[in-house]
Amino acid sequence: MDIVYILIFLCMASLSMIIFERRVYRIIIYTCIFSLLISLVYLALGSPDVAMAEAAIGAYAIIFFIVAAEKYYGKDARKATIGPTSKKNGAIGKIILAFIFVGGIAALFINFYPQIDANLYLRNQYLLRAGDDVGGQNVIGAILMGYRLYDTLFEALLLVIAVMAVGHLSWFSKDYIKSGKTSDVKRDRVAFYSIRIISPLILIFGIYLIMNGHISAGGGFQGGVAVACFFICRYMIHNIYDMPVNKVLKMEELIFVALAAVAIITVFIDTNSVVYQNFPEHLTTFQNIHLILANSLVGMKVACGFFVLFYRYITIERM
Amino acid sequence: MEIFGMSILELFPIVLFFISIFGLITANNVIKSIVYMIILNGGVITFWIAMGSRLGRIPPILETPYHLENYFYTFADPVPQALMITTIIIGFCVTAINIIMINTLHRKYKTTDWKSLTELANKETEGGYDHTLSDVVYEIQDKEAEA
Repeated sequence: MDIVYILIFLCMASLSMIIFERRVYRIIIYTCIFSLLISLVYLALGSPDVAMAEAAIGAYAIIFFIVAAEKYYGKDARKATIGPTSKKNGAIGKIILAFIFVGGIAALFINFYPQIDANLYLRNQYLLRAGDDVGGQNVIGAILMGYRLYDTLFEALLLVIAVMAVGHLSWFSKDYIKSGKTSDVKRDRVAFYSIRIISPLILIFGIYLIMNGHISAGGGFQGGVAVACFFICRYMIHNIYDMPVNKVLKMEELIFVALAAVAIITVFIDTNSVVYQNFPEHLTTFQNIHLILANSLVGMKVACGFFVLFYRYITIERM
Repeated sequence: MEIFGMSILELFPIVLFFISIFGLITANNVIKSIVYMIILNGGVITFWIAMGSRLGRIPPILETPYHLENYFYTFADPVPQALMITTIIIGFCVTAINIIMINTLHRKYKTTDWKSLTELANKETEGGYDHTLSDVVYEIQDKEAEA
């Protein structure tokens, strides 16, 4: 019996709980559980990087959901329910529903996977050449930071745009929170002290993930989210509401420009480059410097972006 | 383990995908719609990861050349994994913007029910006025400035 089947069964169980649950808070918590379980499925299928990203992001999105639910339902949020699934649909809705039903049943009999072996040329080339071309031992990191660095660049740009959109749409007259308000965590001494003990470890773990991204599982995105989680802990224990959000947003944009500059360095780390022709013994050093630099910049950028998102959402909750 | 001639690993993401599309159509509350979008994202990612692990499930981290020689044909495919990290970040951006958009709508219409939201929004735009989300933000800002 493969462990993946057990995890898939648990995933389906949590999914059915999401479908039939009507209490808002429970839906949100079951979504978190689903995210965690599906990240374990990824881990069992041999992709620790994706598993880390999914688990971190699932945990992060849950905070936004809870803030939104608190905002929608006020003091009744913990008991609030949402209505039953609507049974009345229009004609178009009925046609689409029938289409989905037929498609779902047909999908059970269609083999989506090709019967012949897939073309493994790209996989083999990446596995064989990543160490020489980009350096490092993590092939996924090599693809993200070397072969597809421009892809990563525009993905980072998308995060900047998302942060700006959230900032724009959450901007109302009471734009900031006055200092002096306390977080609710302070009432619970056990939670307060355990967060105080755990938070530096989270920061160290995030920096470790960023710095070791090129030789083991992890990387800029995963480490960046872990560092951003440290700021949440800081918010909980330190009673700080007036953080310099606008400065951090500017810093994020500057880091994005720096990342674009680092992308130019990729010209010098190839085996065809000037560096290799003149100093072949120093190529590995150049490659490692490039990978660590790119990973740290991506990590800092993601941490800044998530920090701004978190503080915008907290502002909404406290308004 | 097989059902209908397909292994469960192939079937699971497809089931996730269709369940979440069904939920997106039938959900009558905003929060459930966003949750189903997250599940849809998870289904697509699982599909690609499962496809990449057909040859083997060893993470593609080359510790030594010896490791590469021994396990070359049992490494998972690194290409879909690198692409799926991108997908996860984009899915998160979409979720964050979704929640904040709905927050803006809730600020104006005081409901998260799809039907009442649609009715209220339709009532306002009867004159053919193209009502964007930014207009809603500016409207609320003006009201708060007056008050």
